[in-house]
Order: sequence, then structure tokens, then C-alpha cells
Amino acid sequence: MSRKIGKAVNEFNQQMKPVSLWADAWKRLRKNKMALISLWVVGFYALVALTAPLLPFLDYRTQVIEHSNLPPSFRPAGQLVIQKLEAQKALIEDRINNDGMTSLQSDLDQTNADLQFAKDHVNDPVNHKVYIFGTDSLGRDMLAKTIYGARISMMVGLIGTLTAVLVGILIGAISGYIGGWLDNILMRFVDIMYGLPYMLIVIILMAMFRKEGQSSIFILFIGIALVSWLTVARVVRGQIISLKNSEFVEAARSMGASPGRIIFRHLLPNTLGVIIVFTSLSLPSFIMNESFLSFLGMGVSAPLSSWGSLVSEGANTMELYPWQLLAPAIEMTLFLFFMNFLGDGLRDALDPQSKNRT
Amino acid sequence: MSRYIIRRFLSLIPTIFIIITLSFFLIRFAPGGPFSSEKNVPEQVLQNLMKKYHMDEPMGKQYLRYLGQVLRGDLGPSFRYRDSTVNELIGDSLPVSMELGTVALFLATLAGIGVGIISALKQNHWQDYTVMSIAVVGISIPLFVVGPVLQLLFAMKLHWLPLSGWITGRNGFAAIIMPALTLSFPYFAYIARLSRASLLEILRSDYVRTARAKGLAERTVIGKHVLKGGLLPVVSYLGPAFSGIITGSIVIESVFAIPGVGRIFVQSALNRDYTLIMGEVIVYSLILVVMNFAVDIIYGFLDPRISYN
Repeated sequence: MSRKIGKAVNEFNQQMKPVSLWADAWKRLRKNKMALISLWVVGFYALVALTAPLLPFLDYRTQVIEHSNLPPSFRPAGQLVIQKLEAQKALIEDRINNDGMTSLQSDLDQTNADLQFAKDHVNDPVNHKVYIFGTDSLGRDMLAKTIYGARISMMVGLIGTLTAVLVGILIGAISGYIGGWLDNILMRFVDIMYGLPYMLIVIILMAMFRKEGQSSIFILFIGIALVSWLTVARVVRGQIISLKNSEFVEAARSMGASPGRIIFRHLLPNTLGVIIVFTSLSLPSFIMNESFLSFLGMGVSAPLSSWGSLVSEGANTMELYPWQLLAPAIEMTLFLFFMNFLGDGLRDALDPQSKNRT
Repeated sequence: MSRYIIRRFLSLIPTIFIIITLSFFLIRFAPGGPFSSEKNVPEQVLQNLMKKYHMDEPMGKQYLRYLGQVLRGDLGPSFRYRDSTVNELIGDSLPVSMELGTVALFLATLAGIGVGIISALKQNHWQDYTVMSIAVVGISIPLFVVGPVLQLLFAMKLHWLPLSGWITGRNGFAAIIMPALTLSFPYFAYIARLSRASLLEILRSDYVRTARAKGLAERTVIGKHVLKGGLLPVVSYLGPAFSGIITGSIVIESVFAIPGVGRIFVQSALNRDYTLIMGEVIVYSLILVVMNFAVDIIYGFLDPRISYN
């Protein structure tokens, strides 16, 4: 049997192109249509959020008080204001003429004056603005607000996940590789932490340690990072324990590789698949947790806003101006939806045996 | 088995002890105190208040005093609601939250298992795809989005259900529908995915093939053989699901203005009502820990393959 060194062969001893784990996974991912769409959508969100300051969006801080609570539309704001005022005028006139509510006369005069003003200024540059997602109660563009909310939410998700992964890898690797009493202590600690009602503790942290008006993102990160590393640590530990007595590690050790080198060069790359899957599935859950806190009024504080705080604001005015709730809610749900699909797809691609598991 | 139960039960004690200790010191080291937001309180009055609630003692002594109290089942007086004790406040609100949580968990389990069975039996048919897409939506969509959107639709536009609030007694049914549905949605979705996956695995297993080969009716195969093994993972998920529902109900209670424990919890954390926060944390973690314990035990009874010795 002649077999060239370094060339892969199949079971019939024919030479074939070697396929790495990653190429194989990528091939499987590409076959999964839903995961591919998700990849594009998530990429689009990330791109828009990253480059938002460079793109020609309206400024999310600019308040135009005449443009308050405008519905989503592709028409310029000036015309919408006129339309809104005319509807208001018709309503007041109806009340005066049919219900005899003459006390509304002064309101009618005011509306007429506003209408005249709006008509005179319809060609001002400010009235040429187009708000495709509508505006909020201070006349700020909802599209820009939700995009900047997305930036905060995605940053929280990213930093939370990164912290979780780094701390988890470190503790899991040490615990699994060294073993013995250290492993015992670390894993008992992880068990106990799992038992904590951690959202309650995060709420306490946020409520008590953040100061009014001060950016509390830092405490939010601490709170979220406090518990998020547990799962990674467990998974990495399990993988390392199952691999640390295998031949290739033995070989590395016999060549005099240090424990650090064995862990980082030989063991961790083997856990990368699991870690990527964890990352993609926990990103949405971090975003969800942050928005949960923001919704309760304990997440990021004004002037920053995240998807959660935007939804919370929108819920207060939803009866009159439903788009203020729906714009951030739909944007956020779509992102989480595709992120979850991408995570599922990645898991199926990197670990084909686990297909059809939840 | 009984030895396992006892050992497992004893291991609950350190967990609860750690939770109490951790939250006690976390709360005490936070800046500000329960009386710091009162306006124009003379120094002497403040000192008397501190004295009355033993806040002037060293931290360690306060901690031991509190532990002793808790062991006797007394969670102390509320610092903010001066005329009630923490026991009374929790006693009033806990039944409300428990009712909401139980109804939600019941709905989630029932609907989730049903949907899971359908989509596992109809794998890769349109029923499966539809249901599983809904399930991913269920996992992706936050509770506080579902709640207000349902309110907008069913209370404000259609006027079918009350917008918010809580009614005790027989008429409470209409008021509980929306919050319970909202709360159960993500757990319904997760249980559906979970039961689908494990049923699919069982459907391909050898003993199911044997059951079919010996000519059993499909009904019997599914009902007697597949469901028994396939629903075990759902049982073990009930523990975490219940804890999620407890946290989730904090948001639901504030969206729907329900006077449960969750609403008091957020308020007490903002007010720095030390004893009330502690009381709530203890109650919550007791529920959690006991629930997980119960699920572990039930699992052992249901799955004969597990041995505890």
C-alpha cells in the first residue's frame, strides 16, 4: 500500500482533497437555507449598527417639536403635519357644530393658526424630512432611535458573551486540566451559582448600585457577566477532560510541551465548535436580559437607549401612537429570531450528530 | 433511593444559606440606605430610626440577628411600609404570583407537549415547519413585547379582555388570560422544541421498531412506548422553566399591573427596603430550590434507567 505522507485518502485508498472541520461545517451551513438567510440578516444588522454614524440617517437626538408623534410614512414631514392638523381641525369643528361645544373655539383658532404656519413653512428644509418609522413625542426620528438602540443592545450582547466565553474558558480549562481538589471546588462553586435566582441578584445590583443619571452600563456588564460564564466553564471542562488523555496530547507532553501550550494549542481548538455555538445562542439571550432590565427601568439610562428602553417607552403611548412600540419591538424580535436560527444552523453544521436536538 | 433523596435534600441547605449571605451583604454594602431619601429628617430622628431597626449595630451582629430571625420564620418589619411586616406583604402577594405562574406553566406544558407530538409525528411536513417557526418566534420575542402587543390588540382594539389588573374570585378568569398566555409563550415554545427533538430520537430507537414489528397498533406504539420515554426531558426542564416563569412574572406583573411578588420586588429594590428585598429573595430561592429538588425526584421515579446508588 503506497500512501503519500500528508495526503488524505478515502476508504478505497483513493487520494482526495482533505476537508477540514471548518470547510465541512461551512458546506453544511451553506446547505441550510434558513441559516444562510439568517447570516445575511444578522450581517446586515451588524453592518448598519457599526456604520450608522457614517450613513445618511437623521440624528437621533434632534428634536423637532412640530413633528411630534408623526406616523410612519414615506411622505415629507411638512405634508404630514398639515394632514394631521386638518384632521384635528375637522374634529374640533365637528364637535362645535354638532355637539355644541363652543368652548372649543379657542382650540379651533389655535389649530387654524398652526395650520397656517405649517402651510407657510411647508417648503422649509426641516419639513422635507422623511420619517419612515414615524417620530416620538419630541419629534425625534424613530428609525434613527431604533438604530442607535440596536448599537447599545448589540454591544451589551457582544461584551456579555465575550466575558462569558473568556472567563468560562479559563476556569473550565484549568478545572478540567488540573483536576483533583481544585476541580472539585470550582465545580461545586459553579453548581451553587447555578442555583442562584440570578436575575433577582442582577436587579438588586442594578437598583442599588447605579446612580441616577449616570451611565450604568458597567454595572450591567458585571451583573450579566457574573453568571454567564457558568455554562461555558462546564462545557469546556467536559471537553478537556475527555481529550486530555488522548494520544495527541500524550505526544505533545512527551515532546516537553508546557501545560499552557497543551491547553491553548491542543485542547482549546477542539472545543472551538462548542464555544461558537454557545456564543451564537447566548448573544440573543444577553440582549434579551439587558432589555428586560431596561424595560423595568434598570438598564441603560437616558440619554442612551437600548431596544428594551425603547419598547418600554413605546408601551406607554401605544394606544395613540402604536408605531412607537412596534418599530423597536419588531426590529428587535426580527434580530433575535434570525440570531436564534443562525445559532441552530451553526450547531447543526458544527455538530451534525446533534441535529434535531433543541 | 431514600438515601439519595435525603442527601439531595441536605444539599439544599448550603445553597439557601449562600443565597441569604450573598444578598444580605450585597444589599448592605450598596450606597444609600432605606431612610436616605426621606426629606428633612432631624438627625436625632434618623438615629432613633436606625436604632429601632438595629441598623446602628456592626454588620456581623446584624447578620447573625437576621439569620436567627429567619430561622424562626420571621422576616422582620418592612422598612418602607411601616405598618406591615414582610411576612404579611409576601403573604398577600405570593398567592397571586403563584396562581399566575402555575396557570402559565400548566398552559406551556400542555400546549408545548401537544405541539411537540404533532410536529414529531409529522416531521418535515408543513405542520412541523409551521409549528417550529412559531416556536423560534416564541423563543426570540421578549415577554415585554408580547404583553403590550396583546394588550393593544385584545384590550384596546377588540375590547375582549380587561386591559390590566387582577380580580380575585370567579370573575378573575378574564383577567388572568392575557398575562398567563404571555408568560407561558416562551416556555411553550421551548417545551415544544424539546419534546419534538426527544420524540424524534425515541421514534428511531430499537424498542419502538420492535413494538411496530410485533404488530402493535400505531396508537399503542405512540401512546405506550414513545411518549413515556420521549417526555422525560420535558420533566427535567420543568425546574428551570418554573424559575424562568418566576423571573418573567416580574415583567408581566408590571405590564399588567398585577399585585404579585414581582412588583413588590422591583419596588423594594428601588426603595432599599432591606428586609423586604431579603424576604423576597429568600422566598424566591426557596421556591426555586424546592422545585428543582422535586423535579429531580420525580425524574428518578419516571426513568427506571436511573439508579442513585
